[in-house]
Amino acid sequence: MKAFEYATAHSTDSARQLVADKGAYIAGGNDLLGLLKEYLVEANILVNIKSLPGMNKIEHARSHWTIGALVTVAQIENDADIKKHFPGLREAAADVASQQIRNVATVGGNLAQHSRCWYFRHRDTQCLKKNGDLCFARNGENRYHSLFTGNTCISPVVSSLATIFAALDATAIVLREGKEIRLSMAEFYQRAWENPLSHNSLGQGDLIVRVEIPTARPRSAFMQVSDKHAFDWALVSCAAAAEVVDGKLKSPRVALGSISNVPHQVETANQFLDGKVLDDATATHAADLILKDAKPLEHNGYKVPMAHALIRRTLLKLKGDA
Amino acid sequence: MPSWPAETKYISQSTPRVDGEAKVTGRARYSSDIQAEGWLYGMILRAKWPSAKISSVNLDKALAVPGIKAAVVVRDGAFTIRYYGEEIAAVAGTSKQACLDALRVIEVTADVHHEFVVNESEARKENSPRVWENSPNAPTNPHVRENGKVDDAFAECAAVIEGFYSTAVQIHHPMETMGNTVSWTDDGLKAWSSTQGISSVRDGFAGALKLDHSKVRVITDYMGGGFGAKFGAGAEGVLAAKLSQAAKAPVRLMLTRFDQALAVGNRPSSFQKIKLGAKADGTLLAFDAENYGTAGIGAGGDGGGGGGGADIPMPYLYKVANTRVKQSAVAVNAGASRAFRAPGNPPASYGMESALDDLAVKMGMDPVELRLKNDPNPIRQREYKLGAEKFGWQAKYKKPGSSAGVVKTGVGCAAGAWPAGGASRNTQGEAQINPDGSIEFRLGVQDIGTGTRTVIAVVAAEILQLKPAQITVRVGDTNFPPGPGSGGSTTCPSISPTVFDICNKALEQLQTQSGIADARGENWFTACKKLGVNPLVVHGQWQQGLSADHACGVQFAEVEVDTETGFVSVKKIMGVHDCGLIVNQLTLESQINGGIIMGMGYALYEERVMDDLSGVVLNPNFETYKLPGIGDVPEIEIVLINMPERGVIGIGEPATVPTAAAIANAVANAIGVRVFSLPITPAKVLAALGKAPPATA
Amino acid sequence: MKNSEPENIGAHSRRTFFKSLGTVAATAATSQVRTIGAELEKINSEKIIGPGPVPVTLTVNGEKLKLMIEPRVTLLDALRNYSSLTGAKEGCDRATCGACTVLLGDTPIYSCQKLAIEAQGIEITTVEGLAKDKRLSKVQLAFIEKDALQCGYCTPGFVMSVTALLKKNFHPTADDVKHACAGNLCRCGCHPHILQAALKAAGVEHAAKTEVITYA
Repeated sequence: MKAFEYATAHSTDSARQLVADKGAYIAGGNDLLGLLKEYLVEANILVNIKSLPGMNKIEHARSHWTIGALVTVAQIENDADIKKHFPGLREAAADVASQQIRNVATVGGNLAQHSRCWYFRHRDTQCLKKNGDLCFARNGENRYHSLFTGNTCISPVVSSLATIFAALDATAIVLREGKEIRLSMAEFYQRAWENPLSHNSLGQGDLIVRVEIPTARPRSAFMQVSDKHAFDWALVSCAAAAEVVDGKLKSPRVALGSISNVPHQVETANQFLDGKVLDDATATHAADLILKDAKPLEHNGYKVPMAHALIRRTLLKLKGDA
Repeated sequence: MPSWPAETKYISQSTPRVDGEAKVTGRARYSSDIQAEGWLYGMILRAKWPSAKISSVNLDKALAVPGIKAAVVVRDGAFTIRYYGEEIAAVAGTSKQACLDALRVIEVTADVHHEFVVNESEARKENSPRVWENSPNAPTNPHVRENGKVDDAFAECAAVIEGFYSTAVQIHHPMETMGNTVSWTDDGLKAWSSTQGISSVRDGFAGALKLDHSKVRVITDYMGGGFGAKFGAGAEGVLAAKLSQAAKAPVRLMLTRFDQALAVGNRPSSFQKIKLGAKADGTLLAFDAENYGTAGIGAGGDGGGGGGGADIPMPYLYKVANTRVKQSAVAVNAGASRAFRAPGNPPASYGMESALDDLAVKMGMDPVELRLKNDPNPIRQREYKLGAEKFGWQAKYKKPGSSAGVVKTGVGCAAGAWPAGGASRNTQGEAQINPDGSIEFRLGVQDIGTGTRTVIAVVAAEILQLKPAQITVRVGDTNFPPGPGSGGSTTCPSISPTVFDICNKALEQLQTQSGIADARGENWFTACKKLGVNPLVVHGQWQQGLSADHACGVQFAEVEVDTETGFVSVKKIMGVHDCGLIVNQLTLESQINGGIIMGMGYALYEERVMDDLSGVVLNPNFETYKLPGIGDVPEIEIVLINMPERGVIGIGEPATVPTAAAIANAVANAIGVRVFSLPITPAKVLAALGKAPPATA
Repeated sequence: MKNSEPENIGAHSRRTFFKSLGTVAATAATSQVRTIGAELEKINSEKIIGPGPVPVTLTVNGEKLKLMIEPRVTLLDALRNYSSLTGAKEGCDRATCGACTVLLGDTPIYSCQKLAIEAQGIEITTVEGLAKDKRLSKVQLAFIEKDALQCGYCTPGFVMSVTALLKKNFHPTADDVKHACAGNLCRCGCHPHILQAALKAAGVEHAAKTEVITYA
């Protein structure tokens, strides 16, 4: 870790000013310090945004809930209202890393975290994501990489919260050059798909301020499979959300993590599920649709059946008692 | 011949660890906690490439970094780098930050070679780049050991199976990394080392720096695990010494976790092509195996830990009339292996026990029956019968893949042994008995977490009829009488008879000096008081007849495998183990648990991943080199066979041997197909089930 | 120095502005104009410090620890290398092993992935701070009794994780313990005894399933 200056910002304006061209915001710091320690990110100043007002609250409105970017993952995990209204969000939060990390990790940081590709994270491999001219993973050790591989960098998004937020059709509100812009989860990660140097669509100085979740989908679920039982990255994660009216799905959405640079969503599958009664056949057909265009690599074909099973199981969890 | 008391108060009971309080309060000072007067922080610069010729290393800019007090190159002149992470230089400074900054400005002039090989099967090819210029990576005519007439015997077999079983390179990863604080002055060298062999570290420093042994003192009050990797002074120790000499200050140089994954040892991989055949009654008749594995650039590691070579015992525990075994180590551009908890045995157990189960399935025979038919060891015969009954084997073992549902259950068993593990006959120790009745034992051994201090206290308390808490134990100092390195399960059988001897000598001398016939127990203080002003110091040594070797063990595993996600969950492990006379049951349980859990990591999670293209270790961390966590650990049930008549035997190694094989067999039993390589990840389970589609990208 | 609208100036000049403001603020504070004083205090707290050593005050186990350290120094580094509190261990320095776990308030965190400068103003508890008047805590006692340690290097981290759990959950289940300790690694394999110790500290006896059979 290189030496850096440090400042605490008390307003978003001053945070933006302080971070300038070569600084980085620090909230929980889990990802940032890891990147700095490996010299993968070099910042001349760290701007502490934990004192920014109003960003650490969970607020309820009828049409949507607002989760401040500084709300910790542990807060979400332990919030009784979230458990009741967005059970999938609670499940996703509980599966994030370990207690020590959840206690400091913020919603903003979870969404903005960089790729976990082990070539990117390695201090001595100069991959595409680090301005190198080669993706080592494409023909190398790609067991943890994407199934949707029609672009250049094949390191998948690993944010569990992004997966469930996508299923809940949540919007990230980002402060860019003094103005708020609203990004769906697809938009939030779109640039990672397009540009190998990007991990998400944030630019230098952009600040996530909050996430808005529509209340339209009272049923939600999240599941992941890892090599280990806990404190391990998902090999595949899946989130689903919907309203269930008279046993039928209304506005269902399914999203998967760890298989694409973006939370993987297939509109035709969501449309297919709309108005359906959930059963094995429906869930299976939805899974088929969602994974139809998967293009596995040499070592990650296993993610296809794994994702298929997770989609079916996560969808069936939406049935609940009804 | 001396013998252990028949009736015991502390031996074979459970005494809490005598240094437990120091460890739970943070008072215990580990080697990495040492803050010697004026100490400096040390760090190592490592090669960024798997193969290179270093022509010069310029340290000027590093020395100019504020706070840096010394910088040294690992070797004078030009030198060759043969693996990613090999040491190049080191710096010492007043802070970690100064060292980090200094490492980045060291100028290395290197001719980087693009010819290298990190993959075992590639390295065996004739046209493969050579790790060592003057010799092929693998012997062209590997040694073949043949007994009987193998080919003829296979023709007589009622059933024959073939399999290609492989195991990954496993890294020791003790929680405390390797390293030392070294102070080297004109008076000599003092090192606080994180080691499992203070004597071998002393000898290593003395040899590398051309010092008299008497000028080197090694201290290890507390250290954070070793598992076979921590016997030598190591490159990091020698660099710390040179930095200390140059900076004229003590230097603490502990490896980073990254360093730990590259250059300080590992368990070699194995690729075992096994053909096994049996007569109709299950008697093994023919065994034909070819095994290769890599020990990196070569087996080694300095010090007394043994080589940790790639060869494994085949056909492991079993006597097969006709055997042919061909083995070879293959060099790759990766860090050298070292001894690792029961070297050779876990991979040997995995290969052979998997083959046995595959054969049992083919023959329609119960796997336990097949083992009872072929295992020549009477203790394991008992252990199998006892374990099978307690585990409920008969009810639980079903036809492979036959359990209902998506999540399938399966059971498996396997055996292990640690044929070595006897005592170091040169073990010595002393006790100082003070007139106030306090007593201090001093042994030049170290506690790597197995409970050495507690064993000494328990044995002494038993023989002297005192309480363990009354015994002060000091270990981990080469100024004390010499003891063995803590490896190969030798510590307990070395020190227990030694303490026994010290105690009996103390009682004899106390009798002489105090006139009290029996100074034990309630007479202790009276007898000690009669010593007058001078303490009594008695010296003792290891005695024959109180210890033995060759511990066995069999384990049973029960797993659940999700056939849609490939996820394996171990539900239960039962370990049936013997280690002669149990000294302290509580710490023994801990060691067996630990062996099982480490074996579980080997079975399901652990693998050093090398990148063919760049030659780097891709997972030099705990994020993708995965260790079992508390959520992964199943219910563990231990059955201990106490055999006091055998004397004391170590348990560290045998407990870890059969676990991976038992789990692998349970997985095969659950899903009905074999996963042929460790670790058994969800990816491999799904592939074995034929569910993973091929690449289309 | 009269620029009262820092938002209107460029990033670089603003940073210069903040840097120089340090001295101005100190002078202005004596003017006893409360609003200006409060405003200046707020801006002053936004001043840029570092990259060289800066004063940092930590409250560890009830005692103030005053250090001069660079902003990049982690809490773990500050405890272990800038003071003599070596109870928290360094196992990975990457927030993956948990040996460095300390409590910030009642919350367990990885001290290796927390800047010391950000741990100011809140009570830090390390393993050295658990025993009161030399009386070990319930968790510490249970760890000894159940032998929930071998080499002991991971022990401080586990003890802190379990301590934190029992502060908010008086009757944890085995699954609660596993969830709370998922972020701690142990290479000696003490997990079964750690689980027993955690439950024991919560008042639940959970004996090891060990049987000894003596063959003569």
